[in-house]
Amino acid sequence: MKINAALAAALLLTAGGIAQAQQAAAPAPSWQQGMSADQSTSTLHPLAGIVTGRPASELPLNKLKVPPGFKVEVFADGIPDARSIAIGDKGTVFVGNRNQSNVYAITSNGGKREVKVILKGLNAPNGVLFHKGTLFVAERERILRYDGIENSLDSPPAPKVVIDGLPQQPGHFWKTMAMGPDGKIYFNIGSPGNIVLPGYIQASISRVDPNTGKFEVVATGVRNSVGMDFDPRSKKLWFSSNARDWLGEDGPADILSMVKFKGEEHGYPYCHQGDMADPIYGKLRSCKEFSPPVHKLGPHIAPLGMRFYTGNMFPAEYKNSIFLAQHGSWNRTVKQGYNVIRVVVDPKGRVIKSEPFLEGFLTDEKADPPMWGRPVDVQQMKDGSLLVSDDYNGVVYRVSYSK
Amino acid sequence: MTLRLQFHPQAGKRKTAAGARALAAVFAVAFFAVAAPRTAAAADIKAGEQKAQVCAACHGPGGKSANPMYPILAGQPAQFIATALFEFREGKRKNEQMSPLAAKLTNADLNDLAAYFSAQPAPPPLRQTSAPNLTAGRDLTVKNACIACHGAKLLGQQQMPRIAGQFQDYLRTQLTNFKAGTRADMDGTMSSAAQGLSPQDIDVLADYLSGLPTQ
Repeated sequence: MKINAALAAALLLTAGGIAQAQQAAAPAPSWQQGMSADQSTSTLHPLAGIVTGRPASELPLNKLKVPPGFKVEVFADGIPDARSIAIGDKGTVFVGNRNQSNVYAITSNGGKREVKVILKGLNAPNGVLFHKGTLFVAERERILRYDGIENSLDSPPAPKVVIDGLPQQPGHFWKTMAMGPDGKIYFNIGSPGNIVLPGYIQASISRVDPNTGKFEVVATGVRNSVGMDFDPRSKKLWFSSNARDWLGEDGPADILSMVKFKGEEHGYPYCHQGDMADPIYGKLRSCKEFSPPVHKLGPHIAPLGMRFYTGNMFPAEYKNSIFLAQHGSWNRTVKQGYNVIRVVVDPKGRVIKSEPFLEGFLTDEKADPPMWGRPVDVQQMKDGSLLVSDDYNGVVYRVSYSK
Repeated sequence: MTLRLQFHPQAGKRKTAAGARALAAVFAVAFFAVAAPRTAAAADIKAGEQKAQVCAACHGPGGKSANPMYPILAGQPAQFIATALFEFREGKRKNEQMSPLAAKLTNADLNDLAAYFSAQPAPPPLRQTSAPNLTAGRDLTVKNACIACHGAKLLGQQQMPRIAGQFQDYLRTQLTNFKAGTRADMDGTMSSAAQGLSPQDIDVLADYLSGLPTQ
């Protein structure tokens, strides 16, 4: 950092000896970065969850709507900052934190449901993934594995490191994971700011072999994917991603897309939603160079967790549908999202239709805050019902179906 | 040439530590005698009023502190109060007096106290901003996007505190500590927002904000 000579001399002469470094170009907060001068009086701001969570008894659950035949209820409360969900082989429901530092386990013992903190003091353990007896936890800069954890939930085993040394970054540091058919863990490394040139492994979807630790970038130009899953038919990786802010109310759209080949480029920061050149970086590369998204979900809608439905509880037409949680964004005067949608896609990667599945969190689209709850992740239970996490209230809901 | 100067924020120890600790210990005992454990229920202003008795010694009756060492809590947003207490309890935010008091609060305590303090009317500002800083301060709040989160009149909302009419010294200390990275910050927003502030900016903001109307 450069400091002019006069200022430096003045500082060195300061009687108390307090040397104050003048910040030349201080970085804006990652959410605010990219805000233009004429937006400086905007009162749009990110929303924060209730740190203690709220008990189910305080929630207006009667506002929730699901299609006929479905039922939604609170599966568990008392999980502040409830983010990603994973299901253990023995049915344990694991839930991660983003702004807090715990991993929770929800167990059911003879009809009695118990919520407990099993891992503490982690660094933004947003991502949880369960595979063949092992719980994987993605922190800010590393991925850990806890082998055999379901056998000793009250005294979890010491973790082993799968990968460490991922970028230290202020923005989009939270990770989400999916297990690939190749036995590798696929995960996001977000862009470090709203709209910046990312480092070469940032704004990517990457994979790591949990046995060898070998790391590869799979797709680039993905600003921040907080949900991904493999189509059980095509074995292709689908993902949701959040587009940049501060380009106006109506764009760019957040997306749902698919990785067609290793090394595929998805556009960020040069091109958004497949056809919108970025005002700054769009001059460097053309939209034609990048894969367009499969589906535009809408601007500032914040798609997060997504899963293909493979269960047998829901009607047959739901099989292989994508359930997608939309957290609802903030960078828009008229808010949208705050729901779970169902997207029907074919094995070739085309969207057939998209429709609401779980709604009612949004109470007043122009209010601040506009909602009473925010869906983060969706996860299918062994019985085919669907769990939905809500990090605003620290609650996990369960959607079931009966004829 | 690159010149690196290390900034050492003044620790700002400006009171009688031993006395404060003794006071805190007394309060801790008194406090937990009345804080009966309770399962989750709606926040309760009445219960909060009872639990807040211990707070009054420093923060004043109803959170209307008249001592610039202790911030004004009256009329702060409930979510902010609960979040601040949570950060003290979890050890993310540290303070010799507050940390032991917050250590054993239950979630219900947090929410009851939050409900109570947020329901108290905010007292009018205790000082006037110096004339030159009226414009300079307003410009800084726009340039640094303070209004995006703290609201157009800086009265606070949700988890963001009302900074209008807060004590000048308190504001200066908090901004300095945010900039130094020593003040707890759940998501990094305030720490990064404070990076762009010079010590002079912080002085201007503390003068400006402390004189703003609280309604």
